[in-house]
Amino acid sequence: MDIKERLGKTKYDVDKSYAHITVDESICEKCPHHFCVMACPAQCYTIQDGKLNFQYEDCVECGTCSIACDQGSVKWTFPKAGKGVIYKYG
Amino acid sequence: MPDYDAIVVGAGNAGSAAAITMASKGLSVLLVDRSDPPGAKNLSGGVLWGNDLAQILPKWQNEAPLERFIQDKKIGFLTDKSSIIIDFKTKIFEDNKVGHTVLRSKFDPWLAKKAKEAGAVVIPGITVESLAKKDGKIIGVEESGDVITADVVILAEGINPRLSIEAGLREPLQDWEVSVGVKEIIKLSPQKIEDRFNLTPNSGMASEYIMGNLEELNVGAFFYTNKDSISLGIVAPMEQLRENGITHTYDIIEQFKEHPSIAPLIEGGTVAEYGAHMIPEGGLGMVPKLYGDGYMIVGDAAGFGFSNGLVLQGMNYAFLSGILAGETAAEAKGRNNFSSDSLALYRQKLEKTYVLKDLKTFKDIRKVTGNRSMYTTYPKMLESILLEMLWERGQPKKKIREILGSCAADLNVGKLKTATDFYYMYRRM
Repeated sequence: MDIKERLGKTKYDVDKSYAHITVDESICEKCPHHFCVMACPAQCYTIQDGKLNFQYEDCVECGTCSIACDQGSVKWTFPKAGKGVIYKYG
Repeated sequence: MPDYDAIVVGAGNAGSAAAITMASKGLSVLLVDRSDPPGAKNLSGGVLWGNDLAQILPKWQNEAPLERFIQDKKIGFLTDKSSIIIDFKTKIFEDNKVGHTVLRSKFDPWLAKKAKEAGAVVIPGITVESLAKKDGKIIGVEESGDVITADVVILAEGINPRLSIEAGLREPLQDWEVSVGVKEIIKLSPQKIEDRFNLTPNSGMASEYIMGNLEELNVGAFFYTNKDSISLGIVAPMEQLRENGITHTYDIIEQFKEHPSIAPLIEGGTVAEYGAHMIPEGGLGMVPKLYGDGYMIVGDAAGFGFSNGLVLQGMNYAFLSGILAGETAAEAKGRNNFSSDSLALYRQKLEKTYVLKDLKTFKDIRKVTGNRSMYTTYPKMLESILLEMLWERGQPKKKIREILGSCAADLNVGKLKTATDFYYMYRRM
């Protein structure tokens, strides 16, 4: 089952006005490994046209990328009150 | 005067247990959680051992939203085509009913409600932005520019402890300290679950596997039965994921689901939820300073968890550490002293229980769980031995000693290496 389809089963209240994770593209450009692409369980990090692309909307807030990124690009904060993933089962 | 005696950040098992303990002892307690309902960000594999919960909620087995009690516990090894499983089913589990599968989005709101009933003020949907400090002491929490103060702040913020890191109470986490857990809920009718796993309407099964079918990674997997769903997932050490560098975490769980011995078990089921959560696996080495002036750290945020490749526990450590921090806060209140020296009692209490005893006993467990042979060579070796013993192929039979020798030779395993591996398992596991 495709990851996008699986993520589609999970409930979110996406905060359109605040990205709780940001990446510094200038750092990502020089990154030797892009390990975030492999580590992130929610496919928030992808390589498109040779460049790292990040989207926070599918993030399940596990924090994996905050450790996976050893280049200092990922800035991780909690989403604003009540926003983000809302597990129905957990 | 501070606004509260205690503020607890995070309504998971550790935080709510601390809040219940303190409120029951008459402290004024504020419990905040960044999700609404409380606990909706929380995720576990899903087996809860409730010995410690019984200390604060003696009727938990009747009142808590539990799925199934664990009657059947399995540990197994998977290879490409085979599964080798030890199936431990016991009347002892049935008589005691201490282990249960739970779904955290049902269980955690119930536990937070119990904190409220005990007298705590519970406010969900509050994201604490930072800890408030004064003269090097933690004096409260900050949210939207407001400072709410307390004599003590209990940090139960989980495995991604942004507040503790930002306040300099612990170092940022590193690869060796965590595994990435990826989980799915598969809907399946109670009838199918009970037929497939030979269960009664309340009994359940919990399995943990070593995935010997992945050549390059030491990955564990779990498979638990709920009332009308299956919780399944994988646990992959961050260190190994990085070293491997070519495997998506979200693909590993698919490989588990597609294994020939797992796929038939979820046949006809539908994915109802996908999620992920990190797991503390660094043992004693990842435990930060657990207390200081005006604060204590509990549960996942303190690195409390246990894993030896075949057993994976965290919720029990969360309950007990929360309870002990709560007791410490109540005693500190009696002395009217919330200094680091006074709160050191928390660590002393932990030292006397299995929380820190286990972490000390198994401080070298990563030498076993980090050993690639344990996940790749030995499951294959077991498979070869069983094939030799159990599969009639019209060939002359061999003695066990010869089978062991030939299987080791086939897999290119040296006697000395094997002897050393087993020595480490014997010493450390």
